[in-house]
Amino acid sequence: MLDTHPSDRLAAYLDGELPDIERNRVEAHLGTCARCRHALELVRSGRTALQHLPIASAPDAIWSAIETSADFRTRRPPAVSLVWRLAAAVLVLGIAASVYRIWSTRNVTSWQVMALQGSPVAGSRRLSGGESVPSGKWLETDASSRARIVVGSIGSVTLEPNSRVRLLSTDASGHRLALGAGGIQASISAPPRLFFVETPAGTAIDLGCEYQLHCDRNGTGMLRVTSGWVALEWKGRESLVPAGASCRMYAGRGPGIPWFEDAGDGFLRALGDFETHRGESLDRILAEARTRDTLTLWHLLSRVEAGDRVRVFDRMATLAPLPPGLLRDRVLELDTQSLKKWREELAWTW
Amino acid sequence: MVYDAYKDQVYSIALYYFHGNASVASDVTQQVFLKLMKDFHNFRGESAFSTWLYRLVVNTCIDTGRQADARVVSMEPHMSEMVATPGSQEDDAAQNQMAKSVQSAVSALPPAFRAAILLRYFEDLSYEEMARILNCSIGTVASRLSRGHRLLAEKLSNLNSRLGGKER
Repeated sequence: MLDTHPSDRLAAYLDGELPDIERNRVEAHLGTCARCRHALELVRSGRTALQHLPIASAPDAIWSAIETSADFRTRRPPAVSLVWRLAAAVLVLGIAASVYRIWSTRNVTSWQVMALQGSPVAGSRRLSGGESVPSGKWLETDASSRARIVVGSIGSVTLEPNSRVRLLSTDASGHRLALGAGGIQASISAPPRLFFVETPAGTAIDLGCEYQLHCDRNGTGMLRVTSGWVALEWKGRESLVPAGASCRMYAGRGPGIPWFEDAGDGFLRALGDFETHRGESLDRILAEARTRDTLTLWHLLSRVEAGDRVRVFDRMATLAPLPPGLLRDRVLELDTQSLKKWREELAWTW
Repeated sequence: MVYDAYKDQVYSIALYYFHGNASVASDVTQQVFLKLMKDFHNFRGESAFSTWLYRLVVNTCIDTGRQADARVVSMEPHMSEMVATPGSQEDDAAQNQMAKSVQSAVSALPPAFRAAILLRYFEDLSYEEMARILNCSIGTVASRLSRGHRLLAEKLSNLNSRLGGKER
C-alpha cells in the first residue's frame, strides 16, 4: 500500500509505464481510495477527449516557403550534397525506427493484430498479415480493409471498415481499447470486467459476451449485445445491456436507456422521442411496455424526476410485482441495494 | 522523405500548441524543417532521430511563444482557422463543436502540460523518450501528463456544463 496518493502517477498507470511493483501498489491504493479513483477517471476522460483532435495536414505552402526561403537558399549546400544528406537522414531514421521498435516491443505490452482484408494501418505501418503491435498505437481501417485484434487469451475483436481504435493496454489485469470512430465486433469469453472499450460517450465493460459497438466521430454510438451482458459506464451513470438488447450512447451525456430489439414499434419510437425530446413520450413508453420491457423501465427509474418515477414504478409493479422483502419507498428513493435486488428478479424475464 | 514523413505530426503539434492558429503553426513547421536541414550535420546518432526532431519542435514552440509574449501578440486564432482540417466540411456541427471544445481546453493548459500531452497523443512516444525531449525526469513527464489530463477533463466538463445550460 502507498502512504501517499499516487495522483501524479495515474497517467503512467493507464499508459502501462509503471514497473509491476509500482503498478500493484497503485492498484491496491485505488481499491481503497475513492478520491484517487475519481482522479483516475478524470485522467482517463482527458485522454479519451483527445481523440477528438484530428491530425491536421500541413499546408503545401509550407514546403514552398521552405524552398524559397532566403535562409535556405543562402545556406543551401550543392544539390548533390543535399540529396546525400536527405538520403542519410532517411537511413538514420530507418535504423532509429528499427531500434526503437525492438526496444519498445521489449518494454511495452503488445497486441497481436492481423489483417483480415485489405491493408489496415497500425501507427504508420501497413499490415499485410499478422503482427505484434505495441500498446499505445492507433489501428485504422479504410473502406476496403478489416482487422482482427487478439484480446489476450480471452477472445478477439474485429475492426470494421472505416474505423479507428487505439490499443491502450493489455496485461493479466485487463485489456483496454479506445474506439475513436467506426465499429467493432467483440467476442469475449472470460470473467467479467477484463475487457474495456473506451468511447467519448463512456466505457463498454465486458461482463462475458459478444457485442457490436459503433461510434461516429462526434462520439455518438450504439451498442448491440448478442450474447451475455455489457455494462456501459460514464461518470457514475451505468446502463446494463443484456443479449438481444441495444443501447445508444451520447458524447457528453453518456449511455442512454437500453431496450430489447423485439419491442413494439410504438414503444421504440416513444423511447427514441424520450431520449431526444422527452416531452409526452413517457406516457407512450409506459402504455406500450411489455413485461420484458421492464429492462427499459428499470433504467428509467433513475433517469426521471421523482414525480415521473412513481408512474414508472407503478407500471413496473403492474407488469412484474415487487418481490417480497422489497419496499416501494426504498425503490423510489433509488436505494442501490433495492434496485439491484429488483433488477436481479426482473432479469429472469429479460 | 523526412519532410513528408513528419510534416503533419509537426504541424499538428504546433497547431494545437498555439491555440489552433494555422498561421503560427505553419511558421513553426517551416522553422523546424529549416533548422533540421541547416543543423543536420550536428546530428550524431546519439539519440533517436525522432527525439532530435521533436526536441527541435518543442524548443521552436517555446521560443515562438516567448517572442509572441514579448511582442504582446495574440495567439488566439480566428474562429474560421480553428481545426481547419481536410474532411472537416463533411463532419457535422456536433463534431466540429466537440473538436473546438477539446482544442480550446488543450490551448488553455499550461505550456509544459500542453507539450507533454501533444507529444504523447500525436506521437505515442514513451515516457523515457519524452523525458529526453523535454529535458526532464520520467517522473516529471508522468506528473505533467497526469495533471494535464485531469485539467483537460475538468475544463471540458465546465465547458460541457455551459453548453448544456445553453441548450436547455
